This record gives sequence, structure tokens and C-alpha cells, in this order.
Amino acid sequence: MRIVVMALAVAMAGAAPAHAFKPTRTVEVVVHTGPGGGSDLLARAVATIIEKEKLLPVRMQVVNKTGGGGAVAAAYLAEKAGEQHTIGFFTGVWLTSPLTSAEAKVTLRDLTPVARLVLEPALIAVKADAPYKTLGDFIAAAKQQPGQLKQSGGSVTSRDNVVRQLLQKATGARWAFISFPGGGERIAALLGGHVNMMVLEPAEAGEHIRAGNMRVLAQVSDQRLAGFREVPTLKEAGFDVPAVPQVRGVVAPPGIPAENVAYWEDLFGRLARSASWRKFLADNQFEDGYQDAAELAKFYDEFTARMRAILQEAGIKTVR
Amino acid sequence: MDIASGLLQGFAVALQPTNVLWCFVGVFLGTIVGIMPGLGPPATIAMLLPLTALMNPAGAMIMLAGIYYGAKYGGSTTSILLNVPGESASVVTCLDGYQLARKGRAGAALGIAAIASFIAGTVGVLGLMLVAPPLARLALAFSSPEYFGLMALGLAMVVLLAGRSLVKALLAMLVGLWIAGIGTDPFSTTSRFTFGRMELLSGIDFVVVAIGVFALGEVLANMEARDEPKALPVPKGLRNLLPTAQDLRDCRFAFVNGSVIGFLIGVLPGAGSTIASFISYGVEKAFSRRRDQFGTGVIEGVAAPEGANNSETGGALVPLLTLGIPGSGTTAILLAALVLWGFKPGPLFIAENPQLFWGLVASMYIGNVILLILNLPLVPLFAQVLRAPAYALYPAIIGLSIVGVYTVSGSLFDLALLAAFGLLGYVMRKLDYPSAPLILGLVLGGAMERALRQSLMMSEGSLSILVSRPLAAAMLSFALLILLIPLVARLNAWRLRVMEEEK
Repeated sequence: MRIVVMALAVAMAGAAPAHAFKPTRTVEVVVHTGPGGGSDLLARAVATIIEKEKLLPVRMQVVNKTGGGGAVAAAYLAEKAGEQHTIGFFTGVWLTSPLTSAEAKVTLRDLTPVARLVLEPALIAVKADAPYKTLGDFIAAAKQQPGQLKQSGGSVTSRDNVVRQLLQKATGARWAFISFPGGGERIAALLGGHVNMMVLEPAEAGEHIRAGNMRVLAQVSDQRLAGFREVPTLKEAGFDVPAVPQVRGVVAPPGIPAENVAYWEDLFGRLARSASWRKFLADNQFEDGYQDAAELAKFYDEFTARMRAILQEAGIKTVR
Repeated sequence: MDIASGLLQGFAVALQPTNVLWCFVGVFLGTIVGIMPGLGPPATIAMLLPLTALMNPAGAMIMLAGIYYGAKYGGSTTSILLNVPGESASVVTCLDGYQLARKGRAGAALGIAAIASFIAGTVGVLGLMLVAPPLARLALAFSSPEYFGLMALGLAMVVLLAGRSLVKALLAMLVGLWIAGIGTDPFSTTSRFTFGRMELLSGIDFVVVAIGVFALGEVLANMEARDEPKALPVPKGLRNLLPTAQDLRDCRFAFVNGSVIGFLIGVLPGAGSTIASFISYGVEKAFSRRRDQFGTGVIEGVAAPEGANNSETGGALVPLLTLGIPGSGTTAILLAALVLWGFKPGPLFIAENPQLFWGLVASMYIGNVILLILNLPLVPLFAQVLRAPAYALYPAIIGLSIVGVYTVSGSLFDLALLAAFGLLGYVMRKLDYPSAPLILGLVLGGAMERALRQSLMMSEGSLSILVSRPLAAAMLSFALLILLIPLVARLNAWRLRVMEEEK
């Protein structure tokens, strides 16, 4: 009898940690973009999929804490130390903003890592009537007229500019980078012929390619994407630069119990395996970037170190 | 497919009973969202997005678009009645709308806002239906130097928003431009004027400044009056509450101006409805025969901006539906919704999904009619608000302002800012500084800075890019012309005086 009880207790203890914590009220999901921004849309899609797959007993509510390239959202999460019903969706910018902004005091290191979810590959595209047929053509043209060709993109710490910096360093070519805060404006600038090239996500480019308005020169990815079998990767095109992905994942406030971390890790692990999630990734041509909390922490350091070097090389003052 | 058969097909979709219902739900929600200061269409549409996953896409799109354009109707209500801008696009409406209310003409102002919204909203849909694809191509010709020209044109409006002193107006505008610079540098992501405060990293929200300077400043200035303030006059009888035939005649030009300017600016992905409303107000005033009365309560000062912010909606849908390019937060969410429902928004969207496009267009005609029917009877109801005595009205305005600001950000820091800007508004009134130029600088500052810096990046630092492109040059010269108006007026006055003396 005693043995049975003990065995039961052991069995329960074994099963318990993953389920010791269960959210009892609406989970607040913090994102750093306004409604309609990349993180906001991903968080809302995740909330919809989690609801559809019935992975969470409560609802998820997206909260927009915009500003400072993620700094405001990160600080908000840090303030919520110990809060059990709050999580946040981060992107690479949460790692790079503290490098350039003195006020962005909270880094991802100060929050609790949960999971990395998505790696977004990118395409290097030009307008369909541009003379460049390959990335080599573009680089050669940029070398011939240094600083005359233009690329549209996000802020200087964005992935777009990182790809440019890496390519410039590898080839010695030089071209201008024009920042447009809105994704729509970047595409409009390319289609209007005001810039010569841009780095954009496959889902953004797909329809413009199909309509014959854009041509893809190369893909910023290690393997060829399913939708772009005929387009070479950077390496295949002859440019040995790392394929910098846009990274997206989940963090929690600092100081939450270990079983809570386990619960979130388990939830997003199950999400990453679900059929709806697979379909979502395929529809958007995202790469599955799933990593658990331990791997994610290691990823932070690698990514931050690489970004610091790139920013310094670009002549941008880093504060950390 | 030609337009007639497309539209016919569209009405077949939009007139299905469930879709009419969704249209009604959308515009009704939109009206409420518009009336509530703070809560805007992007937040509302984002909240409803998960619900639409279960709906038929046509019905869902009709409803979400209904919220988008419906909110533009409601936005004027609190601007006119309480000097509290309900949406950023309704700030300009405060200038003459609130003065009309103080004269006992709140009903006329609310009524004309609804009528102008209806006319311009319908024109916007017409534009979307008739000229969308060619206009979208034209919008692509617009880039940073052209945006700079447009913003300069907008800033030149300061001349028209100035009260007695142009110097004071320019000073107020500079403060507005400075406030726009607070926050994070959009290109290098370094911080500016944040004084080490994390809360300032996201910049100062336009709504906080507008509500503080307009609503709180007004309340503070009114409370100072020694004598017991009397409730504002509200005429009795429905007929006296609606715009008169004379009002409608006065607004003939405003209807056209608002509709056309709003739609054209809406088509540009980098502009927006706030800029549209400011520019149409400026144009209205520049061409008006009673220019000197603007700001004291002229009815076309309400009709022009309210029309512009409604036809802007139709314009903003042009790049979204013909190119898959969103120009604002709201259209970005609509784009995401289309993707979520399995569509591929882009250059081929209309050709491949004619039912959805034409259904939406047709529903917008229906929605605008519903909005007019919904809003006109509300006019007398809302006008009664002003019967409230001062001791009830002023605290209500302060309460509404606080709730409005808190819904936007959920931050107590912003409430402190609201108080600070309320005091600023009060001081500006005392010293006779006009507050509209401050708001104008704040609205245009960010976009203007981006456009200028982008242009200079394109030209590697050469300013000639701003004048060497015909569209940009045309707009800059027009801006210069507007800036010269006061000078010409002064010269003219001087000439008249000399002639008088010579006689």
C-alpha cells in the first residue's frame, strides 16, 4: 500500500511540473508595433491559431506598446516582473535597439526567454524593367557608380541594412540606403523607380512578382525557398555573406517561477508542431525557427555580438 | 470587366441581407468609435480581426471597411460640441465647429459635418471605382521630394491659421515641429529630446497634445471667468437644429474641395487624413470671400475638413486594393485580414476577386447612406449636451479628455503630459497665441523630416533634388505663394491708405 502511494506520488510529481501552472485569466501579449505592424500581425495570427487548436484555456489579448524600436515594450515587460499572465513577442530589433539607444535600458537578457518561433528569409528584388538580371549585375553597376544606386528599407538597424552592409563589405561596392518607416512606402519607392533595389519578405513580394512588376535577384536564405526554387541563394550567387534572418519569438517578464516558463515553453512547442501553424508558415514562406528557452538565450548573445560589429562598421555609435 | 456590370455584380453581393447587416454593424461601430476620443479604427479593427475568421470574407471586409469610414463621421461630434477632437483628422474641425457651437449653431455644424461626410464619402467611392488603377500608378510617381513639397505646402497653411500676429503663429508652429522631433530618430533609432525618460522614446502622441491644448486649455480659460458662466444657447425645434439652405449654399465649394483634396491625398501612401483635413481647410480659407471670419465659426470651415477626411478613406483603399500597398495602420490591418482569409492582395487582386472588390465598393455606397440616416437624427440629441450647466459640462470634458488619452496609451505619464499641454493651451490663449499652428507643426513635422532626409539621401546631400523634379517644384512654389499672401495683403492695405491720403 505504502509503495503504491509512493509510486503514485512519484508519478504525480513527475507529471506535475508541466501543469503546475495554468493561466486562469486572459493572457496579455505585448508587441512593440502598432496595430498592423509585423509583430502585431504575427501575435494576432498566433492568438487565432492557438484559439483554433484549443491550446490555451483562456483568451490572448494583444497589447501594443510602441516606440523606441522595442524599448518601450521591453521596459513594460521588465516592469511586470513576476506577472504570470503576460508574455511578449520580440524581434531582432529588441536586441539591436539597446545597442544604439541609451534609453533602451532593458535588453532581452533581462527578460525570461521562452521560445524562438520564426525566421523570416528575405528576397533581394529590383523593378521588373531594371537592367540587372543577377545580383552580380547590380553589384557591378554599384561599383561603376559608387553611391549612385539606392536601396529602400527600414531603419539603419534593420535587417535590410545589415544585408547591405554585409554585401558592401564583401564586394567593395557602395550604394545608398534610404530609410522608410512604413513597409508600404518602401515597395512604392521601388515600384515608382525612385530606388533601384530592396530587401523584402517573400510574402510581400509574391504578388508583385506574379504581376510582373518585380524581379528577384537572390534570396537571403541558406536553402532555396519552396516558392522560389529557381532563384539562387546569396552563396549560390557567389556572395559568401551570412543569410541574416529576421527573427521572431516569445519572452516572458523576469522573475516568474520555473513551472510557468515550462508551461509557456510547452504551449509554444505544441503550437510549433500544430498543423495550422505549419500552414501559416507555408502561406507566409516563413522558416520554422523553433528553439526552446535554453537555445534562445545562446542565440541572443551570438546575434547581439554580430549586430554590434555590423553597426560599428557602418559608423553607427553603439552605447552598449 | 466594365464598370457597370461590375457594380451590378457588386450590389448583388452587397445587398444580400447578411451583408447589409454587416455593413450596418460596421458603420454603427465606426460611428461609436469615432465619437469616443482616443479609441481609433485601427485598434477596433485589430480587436475584431479574430472574429472575422469565422465570417464570410465579403461580409467581414464590408464590416471592417464600415468601421474605417464610419469612424470618420463620428469624429467631428466631440470636436464641435466640446472642443475635444475625437480623431486626429477632426482637429481642424474644432476651429470653426466649436465656435459655431458657442454661437448656438452646434446642430448646424453637426448636420453639415454629416452631409459633407456623405457627399465626400460617396465621391471617394466613385473615385475608387472609376480611376483606381491609373491613379495608383500616378501615386507611385510621388516620392520623398514630392512629399516634402506637399508637407511644405501644408506648413504654409500656417499663414491661414494665424490670428492677428503671423510671428506668434510661426512661433507656435516651431514649437509643434519641435514636439514632433521628440522621441526616437526614425532612421538611426537614436533618441532625441527624451531627457533620459523611457516614456518619451515613442514620442508624444498627437492626441495628447491636441486634447490638452484644445479641450483642457479651453476649459481652463472659461473657468477663469468671474461671472457664473451661462449654458450655451441651444435653439428649440428640429428645424432650427439642422443646417439651413443658406448653409448648404455656403458650403457648395467646400463639398467639392473636401471631396477632391481628400481623395487625392488619400491615394498617396505617405500622407493621411489629418494632412488632408488641414490642407482642405487651408484651401477653403484661401479661396473664401470671408477669409477673415474663419476661426470664428463659419460653416464651410467644418464642411471642408470633414469632407476631406471621409473621401480620404476611398483614396486610401486605392493603393491597398490595386497594389497591395498599405498607407496607414488601418489599411495595414485590412491587408492582413485579406491575407488571413486566404486572398493575395496585390496588383492582380481586383482582376482575380471581382466579387469582393465590387461588393466592397457597392457596400460603401450603401454604408454612406446608412451613416447619413444614422447621424442626422443624432444631431438634435447630441446638441442637447450643451444645455448642461458649466459645473457639469466642464468636469465632463475633463473626464472625457482623460479617458480619451488613457485609451490611446494606457500610461499615466501621458496623463501628466495632458495636464502640461492643457496648461500650455491656457497660457497660449492668455498671450493670444493661436493653437492650430502648433498642431499643424506637430502633424506635419515627422513626415516632413522623413521626406527631407530621404530626399537628401537620394541626392547624396544636394538640395537641388527638391526643385529639379516638376511635381515637387510646383508644390514648393505654391507653398511660397501662400506664404506671400499676408505680404501682398499688407502692401495692398498700405496702397489703399496712400491713395486715401492723396485724395
